[in-house]
Amino acid sequence: MKSVLTIVAVLALTASLAFAGSPKNYGKTLTLKEVTKVSEILANPEKFNGKRVRVQGAVVDVCSKRGCWIRLASDKEYESIVFKVDDGVIVFPMDAKGKTAIAEGVISAKTYTVEQLIEQGKHTAEETGKPFDPSTVKGPKTVVRIMGEGASIQ
Amino acid sequence: MPSSVTPAARPRFKWRKWNNILHRDIGYIIVGLTLVYGVSGIAVNHTADWNPNYAVEREGREIGPLDGATREELIATARERLGLADEPKNAFRPDPETLQLFYDRVTYAIDIPTGKVIVESVRPRRVLFEFNQLHLNAPKQAWTYIADAYAVSLIIVAITGMFVLKGKTGITGRGAWLVAIGVLIPVGYWLLHLYVF
Repeated sequence: MKSVLTIVAVLALTASLAFAGSPKNYGKTLTLKEVTKVSEILANPEKFNGKRVRVQGAVVDVCSKRGCWIRLASDKEYESIVFKVDDGVIVFPMDAKGKTAIAEGVISAKTYTVEQLIEQGKHTAEETGKPFDPSTVKGPKTVVRIMGEGASIQ
Repeated sequence: MPSSVTPAARPRFKWRKWNNILHRDIGYIIVGLTLVYGVSGIAVNHTADWNPNYAVEREGREIGPLDGATREELIATARERLGLADEPKNAFRPDPETLQLFYDRVTYAIDIPTGKVIVESVRPRRVLFEFNQLHLNAPKQAWTYIADAYAVSLIIVAITGMFVLKGKTGITGRGAWLVAIGVLIPVGYWLLHLYVF
């Protein structure tokens, strides 16, 4: 029994050392070569709507409930974009926050009414545990997201 | 030599014996997996009430209003006042009044005009985190097939379980009622969900 435990411990330690610091891949393999700037996407949502893109940025927020989205910082200040994945298909860990992600997916630019935006705001507030004031919502508004396919986080 | 020899009777296949062996041994094999899936099942069932993977702690601090013309100056002042010797892994300004500094599993969200800081630290819940990762098939690859084999094993254990005992307590007696109750629970609940709740 003692020897079995020792072997398991050695294997676990070797595996953790081997993978420490290496990028963690999620979902489909990344295939695009060219990186599109998040600021370009946010400035021209209609141009990119429905197109597959590869973006790069710091992970500044993660869905704390299901790990079903990450928010990536733009190359410009005060801007970010949500990279949304199907529940359960990819689960992003909360400790991805602060790491750098390279991610690929399809741009979705949809215009929402004030009521829809308030519903979304409530849902996000539930997921993030942060306060939400519906009176601050102005609309209609075009929300740009990346429907995520795959990501590599380091 | 006798005129008529009775051929040796073919030994009867003892299906119940093999049924019970299968039930017992598969049952032993899946103890570990059942604990992983059972414990994680309870944990992830209540994601509305808690985070089953991470313990998130938030703490408030005050460092005074931050001055600085550039982002780099703001970061330097914040680090000095927070006593952070290392460079952050990343920094982000979601709006003109907020600066976020990211360290390993710790985020500092600083309100620049007031100097109020929310320090959020994230710690994976030991054992439960690993159980949930396996339950939700985060590793993918070979684990997908192990999980499939486990599901098939559960079906075998359920079916063989019905035939372990014979007689009054078996499937022809009390067992039939208990199996019926077990089937009615999901069917009945789903009908109530559709037409009543």
